[in-house]
Amino acid sequence: MKEINSLNLKGLAINALNNVFDMMLDMTVEISDADSQEIINGNKIVGSVSFVGDLMGNVSIHVGDTFARIMAAAMLGMEVEEIEGEEVNDVLGELSNMIGGDLKSRFCDIGFSCQLSIPSVTSGSDFKIESRDWMQRECFAFCYQQHTALVDVFIKSGG
Amino acid sequence: MSLKVLTVDDSKTIRMIVKKAFRPYDCELFEGADGAEGLMLATQEKPDLIVLDITMPVMNGIEMLSKLKSEPDLKDIPVIMLTAESGKDNVMQIVKMGVKDYMVKPFKGEQLIERVTKLVKLESKKTGEASAGDSAGKYFSLDGDIQLLVLKEKATRQITAQVEVYLRSKIKDMIKSGMNKFIIDLSKMPEINMSLIKLIMVIIQDCRKAKFRIGVVGTTDLSNELKQFQETSGIPVNSTVEEAKAAFSS
Repeated sequence: MKEINSLNLKGLAINALNNVFDMMLDMTVEISDADSQEIINGNKIVGSVSFVGDLMGNVSIHVGDTFARIMAAAMLGMEVEEIEGEEVNDVLGELSNMIGGDLKSRFCDIGFSCQLSIPSVTSGSDFKIESRDWMQRECFAFCYQQHTALVDVFIKSGG
Repeated sequence: MSLKVLTVDDSKTIRMIVKKAFRPYDCELFEGADGAEGLMLATQEKPDLIVLDITMPVMNGIEMLSKLKSEPDLKDIPVIMLTAESGKDNVMQIVKMGVKDYMVKPFKGEQLIERVTKLVKLESKKTGEASAGDSAGKYFSLDGDIQLLVLKEKATRQITAQVEVYLRSKIKDMIKSGMNKFIIDLSKMPEINMSLIKLIMVIIQDCRKAKFRIGVVGTTDLSNELKQFQETSGIPVNSTVEEAKAAFSS
């Protein structure tokens, strides 16, 4: 079994992100060096799933309201104006589930057996998600056209 | 008789994607949000196919599948499992459970249909029964030897998908009867959006393939919009249907 610290977490997360956005939303996203604080502050929707097992952790996707609606419209094959709040939440939950599922599969293949939680979605403008005691954490922004969002993933040993 | 398909997933998004994938086919879709609901619907409706998610609250897909397999009436229903996890262990577990096939999320609706056609026979919806209470007549009509398509409502993805389904069978009917003139009347459209532009491109492409002559009726705004795309830039936009018909004889 590899050491958790030796995992290329960012590479795995980017692969999962590209795969999901390309397949489900027909969107080619680019990794950006935008200041992640810009995404974290202000109104946002966060979809996240957790890993539990030999490896523990969480992956979350933080998206502003407008971009979240664009994502929901792309995934559901609808116009942005037709999208309702419940659909935005469900799409964000499902996207985080797919990204988390891809990561979990890679972790298991490498030898870190773990289970994936059911996705959860949080929305609002005045909250902060903190992770503690992680061994590896990657937080990066990605963009599609003029919209930017954030992926935050952290892992630690479950043993 | 319509094929009965049961989709069981806690995500409304996935259920909508599955539903959309089956829309062009003669199917009756049933939806369950968890294994317990899925099992109840399976017992009640005896579907011809089940598309089943694994990770769900209340009763997960694995539990639902084992209950299905223990019911003599239900055990032979083909099941396609959906999973967000493509790891070796997960795949092995699914295979051992005796499912007919599985799909790893993310997936496209067309990929699902490809798998489904290996298990059950899907038949395209016949024009006129594509949706209850609605018909191709809402959009398509004949004007002499010309096929007319009139759109008056805002082009949502649902409407354009429906028109595309009808379009294919209309084109087949036109070829059979030797017709080759097609007019798209968009003069009453409340707005021009990307769904409409994409639909126009599909229609033009299909009509060109069938070697039809095409006429478009619309506003100056539409004409300007169409000029921006390579595929549609050469299409003249007439202001009335009469003008478009006259253009065919010139």
